[in-house]
Amino acid sequence: MNHHPALAVTGLAHTYGEGPGAVRALDGIDLVFHRGTFTAVMGPSGSGKSTFLSCAAGLERPSEGRVTIDGNDITDWDEDRRTRLRRERLGFVFQGFHLMPYLTADQNVALPLRLAGRRPDRRGVAAMLERVGLAERRGHLPDTLSGGQQQRVAIARALVTDPAVVLADEPTGALDSTTARDVLQLLRDSVDDLQQTVVMVTHDPVAAAYADTVVFLVDGRVAGRMERPTADAVAGQMAHLDDLVVTR
Amino acid sequence: MTRLALRSLRHRSTAFTATFVTVLLGTALIGSFATLVETASGPVSDADAESLTIMGAVVGGWGALIVLFSVASTMGITVRQRTAEIGLLRTIGGTPRQARGLIRSEALLVTAAAAAAGALLAWPGGRALLAMLRSGGMIGDDVAYAGGLASLGATAAGVVLTAMVATAIAGRRAVRGPATLVLSEARAQTGRMRWWRVAAGALMVAYGVGLGVVTITVTADDPDPYAAMQTSGSASILVGLGLATLAPVLLRWTGTLLRPAFGGGAPGYLAAYNTTRRAHLLAGVLAPVIVLTSAAVGVLMLVGIDGRTMTATPDAETETINLLNNVVTGMITLFAAIMVVNAFAAVLSDRRLELHRLHLVGATPDQIRSSVLAESAIVAVAGVALGLVASLATVVPFAVARDEGVVPDGQLWLPPLIVAGVVLLTLGAARAGLTRARAVPVR
Repeated sequence: MNHHPALAVTGLAHTYGEGPGAVRALDGIDLVFHRGTFTAVMGPSGSGKSTFLSCAAGLERPSEGRVTIDGNDITDWDEDRRTRLRRERLGFVFQGFHLMPYLTADQNVALPLRLAGRRPDRRGVAAMLERVGLAERRGHLPDTLSGGQQQRVAIARALVTDPAVVLADEPTGALDSTTARDVLQLLRDSVDDLQQTVVMVTHDPVAAAYADTVVFLVDGRVAGRMERPTADAVAGQMAHLDDLVVTR
Repeated sequence: MTRLALRSLRHRSTAFTATFVTVLLGTALIGSFATLVETASGPVSDADAESLTIMGAVVGGWGALIVLFSVASTMGITVRQRTAEIGLLRTIGGTPRQARGLIRSEALLVTAAAAAAGALLAWPGGRALLAMLRSGGMIGDDVAYAGGLASLGATAAGVVLTAMVATAIAGRRAVRGPATLVLSEARAQTGRMRWWRVAAGALMVAYGVGLGVVTITVTADDPDPYAAMQTSGSASILVGLGLATLAPVLLRWTGTLLRPAFGGGAPGYLAAYNTTRRAHLLAGVLAPVIVLTSAAVGVLMLVGIDGRTMTATPDAETETINLLNNVVTGMITLFAAIMVVNAFAAVLSDRRLELHRLHLVGATPDQIRSSVLAESAIVAVAGVALGLVASLATVVPFAVARDEGVVPDGQLWLPPLIVAGVVLLTLGAARAGLTRARAVPVR
C-alpha cells in the first residue's frame, strides 16, 4: 500500500483555441483525491467538468499545471506511455458504456488485461462479473443486454485491473432512475468494499449524493465543496452557484 | 429537396466520390463500345456490322451488371453512413418519402454529372477503339466512325437509370426503421442473411458449376472450338458472384477458422472476433475481393489456354473474342478494385468512434492499427482462397475441353501473381482507410 494520493492535479489550466476566440475551459484547479474516497465533480454546462476529466485521465495534455496519478507525474509523458498507464492504473466508466459490440460481457471485462499483454485470469473476470450481478450473462453480446446491464459490465471492466482511480463521466446519464441507483450503488460498494477511488463527473444531485464529497466547478474554477452531501443540499447549492462565485 | 440535396452534397463531396468515379468510368467504357453499335448501323458490310454489334452488346451487358453492383454497393455505404442524419431528418418532421427523395435527388445529381462527363470521354474513346479494331484487321478499313448522340445519350441514360435503381434499393433500407435520435450503435449483427439472398447466392454458384459440367460433358465435343469457351468463360465469374453474395457467412467461417492462427496478441484477438461477430461489415470488402480474384484468374487463364491450343493463325473472330475477354476482365477488375478501396474507407470511417473508444479503454495507436490490418489480412486470405476456388469453375472445364487435362499446361505463375496483387490491394486499402479515418479527429 503506498501513501501517494490516487490522483492529484495542481494549477490545472486548459485553453481551447488561440487569440480572441480562445476558450479558457480550466482556470487553475488544485484537487487531491485520496485512496478509498468517492468524489463527485459538479457544475453547469461549460464549467469545465469534461475538460477536467480528459486532462486528469491523460487523454488531453493541459495547457498549464501538473497531473499526478498514483505518484506518477504524467504531464509530460508521450501518448503511448500515457495509454499504457491508462490501461494499467485507470478505470473508465462512460455515459455511453463504450463496450466493444463484438465482444461478449466477459471478453469486454477482460479487454484491458488483454491490451496490456496479460493473460486474463478467468476467475478474476468471473468474480468481477459476479460482483456486478451479471455472472449468468457472461457470454452475452452487448446488444442483448439492457442499458443498465451494459453499464454494469463497463464497471466490472473498470475495476478488473484494480486501478488507482476510477473515472466516471456521467455514468447514469443514459439510464432510468431505478437502474441508475443500482449503478451508483455499485460504484459506492467498490469504494467501501475494495477501497477503490472514484471520481465522478455528473450534474445529477441524486448521483452526487452517493459520493463522500462534492466539488463544484464554475467557469473552470473550484467554486466550493460539500462533505457528506444529500441530494437536496446539492440541488440547493447548484441552484445558487452564482453566490459561491461572488463570495469566493 | 433538390436544394437540400445540393447543400448536402457540398458538405459530403468525398463520400460521393466513389459513386462519381464508378459512374464516370462505367459510362466511359460502356459508351466507347456503344458507339460501335451506332457505327454498325451505318454503311458497313454485314460481317462488320455483326462483329461491331456483338462487341457493343457484350461489353454493354456486362458493364450494366457491374455498374449496377458497384453503384448499389457505393450508394448503400453512403446512405448507411448517414442513418443517424436521416433519423434526425425524420424526427423533425421529414416523412420517409421525403428522406428517400433527398437520397434520390443527391444520387441523381451525382450520377447525372458523372454520366455526362463519362459520355464526353467515350466520344474520343469510341474513336480510338474503332481505329484499333481497324488497324487490327478485325473490321474492314472502310468502316467510318458514326458514334454520336444516340449511342452516348442512350448509354448515359441507361447508366443513370441503373444507378437510380441501385439507389432506390439502398434508400428503402435506410428509411425502413423508426425515426430516432439515439442510434443503438453497439449493434452486433451476426451476419445472418435473408433466405432470398442465400438462395440467390446458391443459385449462381450452382449455375456456374453447371456451366463447367456442361463444358466437359457436352460442348467439349462440339466441332466449334468456341462452344466450350462460351459455356465455361463466365462460369468463374458466376461462381465468384455467388460466393460474394454469401460473403457474410463465408467470412464468419473463415474468421472462426483463422482465430487460432492469430495467437494470444490483443490485435489479432480483436480482429478475429470482429470479423466473425460483425461479418456483415467486412463482407462488403470481401465480396469484391472474391469477384476480383475469380474473374481475373478465371478469364486470363482461359485466354492463355485458348492461345496455346488454337494452333491455326488467329483470325478476326479469335482476336475479337480475346479482346472482349480482356476488356470484360479489365472492367470487372477495375470496378472491383474501386469497390475494395471504397468499402474499406467506408467501414473504417463508420468505426471511427468505436476505434476511439478502444483507445480510451487502453489500446495504443499501434495496437489499433495492427488490429485493423489483421482484419484486412483475414479478408484478403478469405477472398483470394474463395476467388481461386471459384476460378476453377472456368479453368478446369476449359483445360479439360482443350485436352490439357485438369491442370493447364502453362501460365501457372499467373494465379500467384494475381493473388499477391489482390492481397496488396486489400492491405493497402485498409491502411489508406485507416489513415483517412484518423485524419478526422474524434471529439
